[in-house]
Amino acid sequence: MKKFLAMLLAMVMMLGCVAFADAVNPDDIPDTVTSADGKYEIAFVTDVGQLKDKSFNQGTWNGVKSYAAANNLTYKYYQPANGNEATDDDRYDAMKAAAEGGAKVVVAAGFMQGTALTKAAIEFPAVNFVFIDGWPLSDAEGNVLTNVAAISFQEEQAGYLAGYAVVRDGFTKLGFSGGGGGTNAACDRYGYGFAQGANAAAAEMGVQVELRYSWQYGASFSASSELQTMVAGWYQSGTEIVFACGGSMFQSIVAAAAAADKYVVGVDVDQSYESETVVTSALKGIAEAAQLSIASNYDGTWAETYGGKLTVLGANQNAVGLPTDTWSMEIFTVAEYEKLMASMKDGSLVVSAEDLQADAITKVDFSNLTVIYE
Amino acid sequence: MDILAILQSDSMAFLIRQTLLFAVPLMIVALAGVFSERSGVINLALEGIMIFGAFVGVLFVNAVENAGWFTTAYETLKQVPSGKAAMDFGLLVQTQGFALLAMLMTAVACCLFSMLLAFAAIHLRADQTIAGTALNMLAPALVLFFVRMIANQNTLNIGGEASSWFMLKESYFGFGIKLTRTTKTASMGFLGKAFIDQVYPMTYVCILLFIVMAIFMYKTRFGLRLRACGENPQAADSLGINVFKMRYAGVGISGALAGIGGFLYATTTMNCSSNGDVAGFGFLALAVMIFGNWKPLNIALASLLFGLLKCVSASYSTLDFNADRIYEFKELGISKHVYNLMPYIITLLVLGFTSKRSRAPKAEGIPYDKSVR
Repeated sequence: MKKFLAMLLAMVMMLGCVAFADAVNPDDIPDTVTSADGKYEIAFVTDVGQLKDKSFNQGTWNGVKSYAAANNLTYKYYQPANGNEATDDDRYDAMKAAAEGGAKVVVAAGFMQGTALTKAAIEFPAVNFVFIDGWPLSDAEGNVLTNVAAISFQEEQAGYLAGYAVVRDGFTKLGFSGGGGGTNAACDRYGYGFAQGANAAAAEMGVQVELRYSWQYGASFSASSELQTMVAGWYQSGTEIVFACGGSMFQSIVAAAAAADKYVVGVDVDQSYESETVVTSALKGIAEAAQLSIASNYDGTWAETYGGKLTVLGANQNAVGLPTDTWSMEIFTVAEYEKLMASMKDGSLVVSAEDLQADAITKVDFSNLTVIYE
Repeated sequence: MDILAILQSDSMAFLIRQTLLFAVPLMIVALAGVFSERSGVINLALEGIMIFGAFVGVLFVNAVENAGWFTTAYETLKQVPSGKAAMDFGLLVQTQGFALLAMLMTAVACCLFSMLLAFAAIHLRADQTIAGTALNMLAPALVLFFVRMIANQNTLNIGGEASSWFMLKESYFGFGIKLTRTTKTASMGFLGKAFIDQVYPMTYVCILLFIVMAIFMYKTRFGLRLRACGENPQAADSLGINVFKMRYAGVGISGALAGIGGFLYATTTMNCSSNGDVAGFGFLALAVMIFGNWKPLNIALASLLFGLLKCVSASYSTLDFNADRIYEFKELGISKHVYNLMPYIITLLVLGFTSKRSRAPKAEGIPYDKSVR
């Protein structure tokens, strides 16, 4: 019987390999290619933080790479000079380098690219730009720049799903450590959504939930010893799970969680591959958005679909969610999650998308959630 | 309030544990500075050497991990608490062995790296302040260059849980075993929590190294000669001591210790990553060295003070000494920025008050010239 089961398992695994053979893992696509004529058609300009932050930059980059590799196009990434202290000029220089390097589409990640993008889009009207986490841009006369596609996400929905799920899964002492110092709209929405979701689940279950909420040591989205100590303090004082909402900050938070045998919620992409401490991740479809917008540049639909417009992606476009392939929650089930998604899609569940900056969350009155702002 | 209960609270254990994480790298790097300066060479390059050390150590760990070694070992060790595997102390010892090996590699590499300073300062008689500054500028650039070559970005990250590979956990010894996601069996008690659970044996190795090297400097013939070269090299030379050799030795030991400090910092507080930055710990070590009056015991105390303040500033909002879920420091209502400033302000104040009495080695900073009397 054992032998038979083992054989069955082996067969299933082999079949599995065959089934997934044509889906290329983005990590297997090289980050740098060399083009024969020195020109690179698809360019990516990174946000603050690392290219391989296992999060926002990397997710977007995976989309760019996947599209380019699947269509045999050349691609290249540009990191603005001066790292986390990059100025608008540094970002513009990176975009200029991309455009002059033969780029037909430039994907720029992060809301901080706005000013630089406006300048670059005016100077290179023949190049199309994709502004992830952005808004439509216009020139000094107020004319909308049709070569810029703005894409933003309903992060509050992703945050809500994650907050709801972890509370339903039995966690009652939560934490939220966000990047951008409380001024990054995407992170603000993730955080508020997380609180709303946790509160809703707590109200359903009739329990009281506690949420430590902090923007400290996250201004530059980077890991630091102070952040690790702070989160270690949270875990030691009873916090069970922390939403690591800010690129490379994940490294410090997961280190603290692994040390204390506690848990983490990932952000932007499925981060459970990084550590077993990751229970779930609040996803947004950055890779898909990058691919779709780049594709519209090539199939001639750019002008009517993305160019000069704001595309808001959320539950209705399947652009936010939790990873069901790597589901590791014990009480909250995939079926319950799908029901929740459905109510989000049909509009019966509305999550407030208000941009609550810094400590504005403390002024919200939650029925079953106590926010401890730090 | 019951003092004994406060002293044995979980928060106190946490504070001790975390303070050591900040204090020990500082301590060992400050001692590195002492070795160099007591031999007569100002070592401003501590920061640069730390950065280089962090890189070499992390690179070594990365190389071992590329063979899949650490993940496999850690996965096995993680099975222990759930009863799926018996505790394999051999595996734990091997992991720590690799950590020691990484420290050794770092020490050798940084000893060589510091020879750049030694050569410029001793043989070429260059201005030691400038040579040290040059190394401080060279190290991050060099490290970033290599990191970009290896990882295609500015940080060499190894893995999500990398820092836990080198950590001892109470669950390895049968305490605090997870029952469900939010409940655990009884924990080790105060001493275990402060000194065994979630600590790095590397930290203790460094404390031991600190003590040994301090004794070495004060109680051996070599140490006496080294110190003589920093006070009056002409007199030392007249007694047949080779000043050049002693100074090379001083800088070399300094480089090795500073490198170890850098690796310890990267592993324990930066999740085993290298990015050409150690958050100014090398410069802080210089301050600690001066504030400790170039004496090991004072340096140890100064580092502990700084480490404690640093730890309190990052975690003040969760410190609860009487387990009533009222966080004493947070209740005070002082702005978090005040806490963040505290370690630096205290350093400035103490330096201001003590520097009058502090006495630097007399001959430091002056290149040795045989012909001068």
